[in-house]
Amino acid sequence: MKKRIVIPVTALAVLLFAALIIVPAHQYRPANPAMDDFSADGCTVIMVARGASADGSTMATHTCDCGVCDWTWRHVPAADHQPGETRKIYHISQYKTWPPEEGLKWDLYKNDFTGLEIPEVPHTYGYHHGMFGYMNDQQLGIGESTIGCARKLYNNTPTPAFDITMLTLIAMERCKTAREAVQLMGSLAEKHGYGFNDGGEMLAVHDPNELWVFEIMPAGPLWTPESGKPGAIWCAQRLPDDHVCVCPNESRISEVDLQNKDYFLGSAQMVSFATEQGLYDPKSGQPFSWKKAYSPSAGSAVSSNGRRARLWRFFDLVAPSLKLSPETPDMDFPFSVKPDKPISVQDVMAMTRDRSQGTQFDRVKGLRGGPFANPNYFGTTRTIGTSSVEYTTITQCRGWLPAPIGGIIWLSFGLQETSCYMPLYAGITDVPASFKVGDHWILNRDSARWAFDYVDFHTQVVYNGALEEVKKAQAEWEAKTVARIPEVDKEALARYNRSSLEGIGYLDGFCLSHADNVVKAWWKLGDDLFVHFNKLGYYNPEKRAFDRGRNLYPEWWRKAIKVWDVITEPDGK
Amino acid sequence: MKAARFFLIGISVVLCVSMAVSSGQTTVPKAKLPVLTTSAGQSNDVTTVNIVLEEAGIGFDYCDVPDVDMMKAGVGLADKESGPGFHAEIYTDLAKFPKGTPYQTVIFAIGASLKGMGASGLTIETEEARLKRILDYCKQNKIFILAVHVGGTALRGAPGSDNERMIDAVAPFADYIIVTKESNKDSRFTKITESKKIPLTEVDYALDLVAILKQVFE
Repeated sequence: MKKRIVIPVTALAVLLFAALIIVPAHQYRPANPAMDDFSADGCTVIMVARGASADGSTMATHTCDCGVCDWTWRHVPAADHQPGETRKIYHISQYKTWPPEEGLKWDLYKNDFTGLEIPEVPHTYGYHHGMFGYMNDQQLGIGESTIGCARKLYNNTPTPAFDITMLTLIAMERCKTAREAVQLMGSLAEKHGYGFNDGGEMLAVHDPNELWVFEIMPAGPLWTPESGKPGAIWCAQRLPDDHVCVCPNESRISEVDLQNKDYFLGSAQMVSFATEQGLYDPKSGQPFSWKKAYSPSAGSAVSSNGRRARLWRFFDLVAPSLKLSPETPDMDFPFSVKPDKPISVQDVMAMTRDRSQGTQFDRVKGLRGGPFANPNYFGTTRTIGTSSVEYTTITQCRGWLPAPIGGIIWLSFGLQETSCYMPLYAGITDVPASFKVGDHWILNRDSARWAFDYVDFHTQVVYNGALEEVKKAQAEWEAKTVARIPEVDKEALARYNRSSLEGIGYLDGFCLSHADNVVKAWWKLGDDLFVHFNKLGYYNPEKRAFDRGRNLYPEWWRKAIKVWDVITEPDGK
Repeated sequence: MKAARFFLIGISVVLCVSMAVSSGQTTVPKAKLPVLTTSAGQSNDVTTVNIVLEEAGIGFDYCDVPDVDMMKAGVGLADKESGPGFHAEIYTDLAKFPKGTPYQTVIFAIGASLKGMGASGLTIETEEARLKRILDYCKQNKIFILAVHVGGTALRGAPGSDNERMIDAVAPFADYIIVTKESNKDSRFTKITESKKIPLTEVDYALDLVAILKQVFE
């Protein structure tokens, strides 16, 4: 009997050992040494045009994937300005943070004045921002993804006045439509220079009618404002009205037709500059491709061992009928596709939580997730949901409502899988106090983000079991809220029609109290998970019982341990 | 007539000297090729230096994390292939300076980047130790050390920050320092160069480095 067990286990161990020797360790190398590769771990932007959504809204996400960045939020109120006033432009680093005792980022960034002041406009719109400007009271929404650029284009000197964050804040202050925002950001960057803290960047810029993919590149470190040359090169392509698109840190715009102004906007010099820089050869016989010239990448989901899997995964989720292959190089994927079915805001929430379940890039496939199927243990494949996320936004613009009610930011803090989306209407005049504070290095019970990290931390122990409890809380606090939104809209609209202040006051009350309740619920959920899964069993407070056997290691895990023992201790000592 | 000529020459000399003094400029020291560029702190600023050299038509070798063995290997850096945690590019004119020719100059682009050091598998402490080894090697072998800072003050941080530590690791040991005015707003580099008697040149833009480096390697 013993012999019968030992032989297959030994055989399996030998095979496993051989596999460990033969299969090289996973090492991803960027195919293009002229490109930086860090952006492969950055943010994901999912975009849904109004004809592709279930309710006729436009939507864009920003998964703010960093791990060491600031997560705090601010509301900037609308303001009127006198003639002759100027707007100071600041350098804002996505990564720079300050210890809490020194102050908060959205006060201290003003120490980094660039020296540039531009004429102020008579009225600036109110808006909500975190790392970027996300939504203003005119229903202009923005999401961001770093796409990198050819190395020679980086301009990390302080000469260019604009970083990507500052561009989004100015767009929020001054623009009603996506088209206006794209043109304003492009022209300011061309005139005053773009770069310093940032390289190639992509923004999804949308209003209730249009969604534009805006991509911008610095013009290299030798640019000076006196040169008369553009200090940035940019391009924007509009998403067809019944399509969806994704940007997973890779440039998405290919061939450009600047004559077709309904669908393309951009720097007049984009081809000549690329040619000058040796990034495009007009004599090659190939048509000019924006992404191949300015932000080329190579490889596919498969060839990158899943590191570049988000592009394929998104298209496969929204349009499985297309049967797109994970072996297709990312550069060859379409700009956008028509989804197989209309996409709801809950579909988008689910996609931000995606961990490539059931695919070859599944992070819990085989032994990877350990006995409790934890997708955070073995992190070689990159999924849309990722534990380094600071927060995720889904900006939603709904043209059938007045702008302050039509625009919503759905915001979740920390890992999407264990967090909860909360609505912030475009017109509200403040954000919850707990959204304004906190950092990664000091646990702060007044900070909303820590409530969600608290749950996430206690989910790690018995992941699959704890996640079921998190899902129940999400059903209570998130799904029910999504379902309640039409009722909130109706009430807000009725009040807004009587008085805009009354309507906005109602939304202020709803958003702030709802967020406070969710944050409280998540602190309690963290406590509950701690109690329930203590000692790797299950403590049931209602029955005052302890179920020691509920979280037993699965049989396959026990076998895997035996195999490992045979490999590492072949003589059985 | 003669007196007027002397007067004009005298005025010109005074004017030139006063212009040089008022703009904080100094006589540009001369250095020899071949030159290696590298980063002190793994920020992207070394790319700026490389682009400046390219624009100036000066061939160079670049290595993100050279150590003494690679310095000894000289031009071509012993053909070591780039890979994770190591990157080298060879643009030196191999007809003039065949592989193995000892470097005569090393340009350090000062600027710390957590992202960059992380990608190279370095910490601030290991980066400081690496820089010390190379600087010692340069001093022992009379290799000209040129330090460049073009990143401005905004990213430098408080005393003791990674960026400040990189400045302290390299600048006091340089034979010549070139900085943008924005990088020296607080006179950080002026103080170092005055105390160590190192020539310093301040420029407005990175573009201005092109002409200066042409003079340095004339």
